[in-house]
Order: sequence, then structure tokens, then C-alpha cells
Amino acid sequence: MRETNANRWLLLAPSALWLLLFFLLPLGLIVVMSFAERGLYGGVRWTFGLWNYRQAMAPLYLWVYGRSFALAAVTTALCLVVSYPVAYYIALRADPKWKNLLLVLSILPFWTSFLLRTYAWMFLLRVEGFVNTTLLALGVIERPISWLLYSDFAVVIGQVYGELPFMILPLYVALERVDVRVMEAAMDLGANRRQVFWRIVLPLTRPGIITGIVLVFIPSLGAFITPDLLGGAKSAMIGTVIQNQFVQRNQPMGSALSVLLVVVVLALLWIASRTARSRRGR
Amino acid sequence: MSARARTSPILAVWMGATYLFLYAPILVLAVFSFNDSRLLAVWRGFTWTWYKAALSNPPMLDALRTSLLIAALTTLIATALGTSAVLALERWRGRLRSLSETLFVLPIVVPEIVVGFASVTFFGWIGLRLGLLTVLIAHVAFSVSYVFFVVRARLATLDPRLEEAAMDLGANPWRVFWKVTLPLLAPAIAASALLVFTLSLDDYVITSFVAGAGATTLPLRIYSMIKTGITPEVNAISTLLLLVTLALMALAFRIERRGMTRTHLVLVGLLLLGLVGFAFGDSVARRPRATLNVLIWSNYISSRVVRAFEEKTGVKVNIETYDSNEALLAKLQAGVVTYDLIVPSDYMVRILIRENLLQPLDLTRLPNLRHLDPSALGLPFDPTNTYSLPYTRGITGIGYRKDKIAAPIGSWADLWEARWRERIVMLDDMREVFGAALKLLGYSLNSTDPEQLRQARDLLRRQKPLVRAYDSANFDQLLLSGEAWIAQAWDGQILKARRENPNIEFVIPREGTTLIVDNLCIPRSAERPDLAHEFINFLLDPTVAAENMNEIMYLMPNRSAWPRLRPELQRHPIFSLPPEVLRRSEYLQDLGPTTVLYDRYWTEVKLAR
Repeated sequence: MRETNANRWLLLAPSALWLLLFFLLPLGLIVVMSFAERGLYGGVRWTFGLWNYRQAMAPLYLWVYGRSFALAAVTTALCLVVSYPVAYYIALRADPKWKNLLLVLSILPFWTSFLLRTYAWMFLLRVEGFVNTTLLALGVIERPISWLLYSDFAVVIGQVYGELPFMILPLYVALERVDVRVMEAAMDLGANRRQVFWRIVLPLTRPGIITGIVLVFIPSLGAFITPDLLGGAKSAMIGTVIQNQFVQRNQPMGSALSVLLVVVVLALLWIASRTARSRRGR
Repeated sequence: MSARARTSPILAVWMGATYLFLYAPILVLAVFSFNDSRLLAVWRGFTWTWYKAALSNPPMLDALRTSLLIAALTTLIATALGTSAVLALERWRGRLRSLSETLFVLPIVVPEIVVGFASVTFFGWIGLRLGLLTVLIAHVAFSVSYVFFVVRARLATLDPRLEEAAMDLGANPWRVFWKVTLPLLAPAIAASALLVFTLSLDDYVITSFVAGAGATTLPLRIYSMIKTGITPEVNAISTLLLLVTLALMALAFRIERRGMTRTHLVLVGLLLLGLVGFAFGDSVARRPRATLNVLIWSNYISSRVVRAFEEKTGVKVNIETYDSNEALLAKLQAGVVTYDLIVPSDYMVRILIRENLLQPLDLTRLPNLRHLDPSALGLPFDPTNTYSLPYTRGITGIGYRKDKIAAPIGSWADLWEARWRERIVMLDDMREVFGAALKLLGYSLNSTDPEQLRQARDLLRRQKPLVRAYDSANFDQLLLSGEAWIAQAWDGQILKARRENPNIEFVIPREGTTLIVDNLCIPRSAERPDLAHEFINFLLDPTVAAENMNEIMYLMPNRSAWPRLRPELQRHPIFSLPPEVLRRSEYLQDLGPTTVLYDRYWTEVKLAR
């Protein structure tokens, strides 16, 4: 494709304008608001200062950030570990006849409402839920396990369940591009299966892994439905705290917390992309 | 083909376990859509009831219709925009490329909650009315990026020499694009379209901010149902949705495998027609005289009452819900919604008046006003009833299972009782939770004294290890299922649960509690204040009010309706409230700047272990 520059502009303009107008501009509004002051009865008073940021850097909120990062990290790691073999099987091992079916089956649960699936987990993990009842009947436990629900455990399970398709899809796309002949060539040259995986498959799928991590980590960081429903709203996460700021009509404070969150995430992404680049250059 | 031939058993088991993990909850959902009980918890036999109910539930079908429409349009627009952006930026080096990429990364990086709020602020600022259009705009904005990255990942792995070869063989750029690039990108485009469709169909957070009157999507509807106890109806509708999806997928595979035959073409055509017919059919078929947009707490109005009004007047009543007064205010403050009737609580009425968001009621058009109990009129938040009329009276108390708890219950201190560790549930409502602690300490629940608030916080931190969950929506379900034995609770939901299990009891703590009056108000921005007045007067009719109360189980200050109440409502604890408890009870007030302190302490309680 050797389009003229004009053609390229024409192709780029609609999406770029859409994002500038309906995404970047609103975000700019929030940035400005984060330096403003809460009006007495909600609303915003346009006097500018750093007070929101001073408050947001207090140990209390830093602890909230820490917890949310831990949740997102655990969720992402579990998603990667669970998804990689699945995507690998579908892309490289499955009978071509079943390939698409398996792929679709892996993302089909995602077509039902996230809220409802979260609620289904509540049903499974309750004190008198499916898991406890079964374990009791099998004699594995004597008393129902109460920490299954309304705990960090439940939040992680729900979060992994909700985000899994976002890991499987990009991994599949990357793995599907891996040329089986390269693997076979390596084996013919004496590499064992482990070496083939670590030295050929994994490096070739790095872009997919990074995409998957980004797609899972970010929503987990800002999650607030799962902490609310499965965590029993017992523990504060950034998402729930920001939501509470908006609901309590302290929009400037919520904006400041949001801006900080976005800045931190951007910094992490920058680091990730730098390390990815330096590895590739080696 | 040695690499394909051998699959280790571990991998097979891993696949099996993952699919079990993915499908077990959905299976449970599907199975319990046939359960002959309003509760999800216990299997009581097979029934089709919930399918019948779901298929004849107009708000649910409306929501499904809205969701499908928005998801389809979002997919079309976002896929086209995203793919063309990828093509435009291909092999375009320099500043513009990296700038554009940053632009596309942002929507993925920024948490949904920020996007939602920023969008609604922006729409308010430019004065765009919230509705289907704003939902569509926001959905496209957050999904273009997903298309961009999925398609680009594919493009990055394509061999550029394929295109070059085609050019060398004399193909013009268009031909190269249609014959080489697009077919190679097709799997990624299809995958991203699938992704966008699901994202849009599923999105709750952003939609909850930008949806206005008439744009309630399925997740919004489901959320409000979960908030007040889910019914198997939702299970039924999602099982149906899943089956339809499965059928579509099956068809897509057959087409992919065997090519597009004439039968397939006809099938796809019929399906598309069916979907379009479903999405638009309703609006064409029965065009109502007018639409009245009502924004109200969930399960707070009887659907029979709504239907009766629709039949009487030929007006379509569109019911939408919110889950906190603050969410209602945020929506109205954003400025661009056009609801005709809202139901804010006492202290919120005051704020809405002060913020100039309500219009005065024309009391001459409300003859049924005379049925209202005078003691519920002229309350401090609107002394002359210029802007509001009382709809319901509520009270916060303690719900408990008397079969699990033998001891007499009657004090907020019972929610601090170590014997019931992990069986105690508190409302997930900052003001109510602090209210209970403040009352237990003997202070006002509208306290603004930092020292008193600190004491309340410490008390709540001590309570934290005993608390099973903070929940404003499902506390009745938790009591019914035995998950909780004792819960801070609002009266109506407990009385409703009691109909299913007589072991559930409701008491009002002797230290005093929160009194609640929810009110009928017309926003300044209402489009049909005439219809709103008509509807208010209809709701105040004693027969209608009695039917309404008997279903939602909250009391209304409608004296003429009281003789027609169910016996359990006639014995409502509000009627027998001891005077000294009443004296110690208060309405919530807006606390202005002190809210910030509450919020900080609330976060600290949530962070305690």
C-alpha cells in the first residue's frame, strides 16, 4: 500500500478526532478540575491549588494504592499462567477442526453479563454455597469455609474469571502466528521441547504477552464491582475510593486521585515498553 | 507433524480444568433459572415461570434491545475507525505516529471509572443531552483502541514482502489492499469486532455515568436488580442470551468451514432481520402518546401500578433506577438529563432545592393530596411542600434470624456482639454505618464534631473483624440464606423477606435511628411536568397507594390507604415506635464540608483488618 499522505490523513482523521474530542478533552477537564476546590454543596469552585494532591499523598491513600496494585498483579499473573497453556493448545496443538470452537468456547462466558457472573460466584462460594456443600458432603471439611466469599480470595477469583478472555485472545493471536516449522527445525537441530518453548515460542509471543498483561492489569487496578460484590465491600481499592469521591460529590479530590493513578500507570507502561525494547535489541 | 501429534496429558487436564472454571458458574446460573423459588439459594423444583416472566417483562426486554442496538453500532463504528487508523499508521514513522499511538493507548490505560466521570462532565459542559447517543459516543471512544491494538498486532507480524510482491506483479494499491492485506487481517478484525461487541454489551461502569433517560442497557438493569435481590428472571434472560450466542457462533463456524451457501445466506439474512426487527419493532409497533421518564430507587414502585397508569392514559412510563441519593444528585448536577419525576430522600430534597434543580409543584393539580398524613407534610427540608410531596417513610433498624439468635435484640450494640462474628452485615452506606456508631455512643447521627467522629471511627474499626460484609442491597437475601444472622437494614426489604421466612424479625434500636422520607419531586429540566403531576396524583390515590405499598412493603403516609394494607404492614414497627425512641431518632442532614472527614474515616474503616 503506497497511499499518498492525504489518504493516510483521511484514514486516521475519524478515529483521531473521535478520541481527541470525546476522550482527551474530557480527560483534560478532569486534570484542570483536580487543582480546583470542592464547592460547599458539591460542585466545583474554580480556585486553584495543590491541596487535593497533598491529601491524596497521605499514607491512607498510598496504602489503598498498594492494595490495588497487589490485587492487579496477582490477577495478571494468574491469568497469564492459566491462559498461556490454553492459548498454546488452541493455537498449536488443537485439531484445526476444533480450533475455532475451542477459541470461542474460551471467550463465550464473557458474553453473559459480568455482574451476573460475579453474582454466580457469590452463589458458588457462599457459606451454604455449592463449593462448601460439596466439600462437606465429600467429608473433606467438617465445617463450612467462611473465607471463600467476602475475602481477597474471592475478589481475585472473580477478577481472574472476568479478565481471562482478555489474556487468552492476544496470546492466541500471537501464538497462532508462530510458524510450526521453526519449532520443528529447532527440534531437528537437537533442541528438546523445553528449549523450543523457552527459546523460540515464548520470545516470539512476547508482543501478545505484553498486550495481555496490559489488557488485564489496567482494568484490575481500577476494579470496583468485584471488590464490592465478592469482597463484601470490606476493603478499599482505588476504584471504590474514587467512585466514593464522585458519589460524595468531591469531584476535585476524585479527579486528583484519578490523575495520580493514570500517571502511575503511564510510568509503569513506559518502563514496560523500555524493557521490551532493550530485550529486543540484544 | 510430530509437534501437533503429541499432547501431554498435563496440557489436556489443564484445558479441562480451565474450561470447567469458565463454565461452572454459568452452568449454575442456567440450572437455577429453572428453580421454583424466588431465591437463588435453594433448589425447590423445576419451573418455566422465570422464562415466562422474563419474556413478558417490558423493562428487561427494552434493556436488552437497547444493549444489542448499542453493541452493534459500537462494533460497526469502532471496527471501521480502528482498522483504518492501523492502516493509516502503517510504516508511518516519526512524531505523528508515536503521538497517535499514545492517543490510542490512553483509553485502555485510564480506568473506566475516570473515563465515565470525565465523559459525563464533558457532556454536561457542551450541553449534550444524555441518552443513546452519549452512550454510543463513549462506547466507541473506549473500544476503538482495542480494535487498533488487536489488528495492529496482526499487521506487525505480516510479511511486508507479500504486499510488495503483489505490487511487483502489477496490482494497484486498492487491489493489494482488498486481495492481500484485508484477507490477511480478517481474522484479527473479526476477533476485535467480537471483543468490542462483548465489551459494549457488558459495560456497566462507563454506561452508568453517561446513560440518560431511555438508554438503560442490560447491565444497568441487572445491576439494579442485584442491588435489591436478584430474581431467577435474570438467570433466564442470560441463559437465553447465551443460547442465541451459541447458535450464532455455530452458524459462523459452519459458514467458515463449508463456505457461504445459499441456505446460510438466507439464515443470516433472517437472523439480521430478526435482530433489527427486535431492536426497532417495539418503537414502530406501539407508538405511545407520550413518554414519562421516572428515575426512582429500584423495586420501589409496583409494576402493576405502572401498567394501570399506562392503560388509563396511553402514556408510556419509562422507569429507571439509581442506588444512592448522591448518584441521583450527580446525575442531575451533570445537567443534561430529562427525567420528569424523581424520588430523593429528605436531606437530598434540601440540597436539590438549594442547587435550584427542582421546580415548584402545582398543588392545585393534585387533589389527592388530601389523603396524606399531615404529620408527613411540612417537614424541615421543605416546610411548605413547595417542591416535594412524601412518597414513602422508611426507618433504619436491625433485621435478624430469631431461629439463629436466641438472645433478645434491641440495641445497636448487638451489631458489635462477638458471638455473631462473621454473621453480622452492615449497610454499605457511609452515613448509615456512622449513624449506628454515633447513636451507640449517644451522639447525633448528624454530628460534625471531629472528636465524636473519631470515636465512631474507632468503634467501627473494632467492629470490622466481626463483619461479614457491607451490603445495602442484598442484606435481606443474606438473612434468608443464613449467610448472615443479623444485619443493619431498611424496613421494607426485611418485611418482604419475612413473607418468605417468618423467622426473620425487624427491630428498631432503642438508642434511636435514621428516619427516612422519600419524596416525589419534579426536576427543573423535566420535559413533561404535566404528565408528572398526573402521575403523582395517580400515585396518591388511596387504592393505587395501597396496592403499591402491599407490593414494595414500604409505608406511605397515605391515611386513606392504610385500612387496605396487608396485616403485616398495619403492624409496622413505625406505628408502635416508643416516643423516647422517636425522640432520639433523626433525619439525615447534608453536612457540607464535614462530608470530607466522614469520607476519610470511612476509607480508614474499610482499610482496617
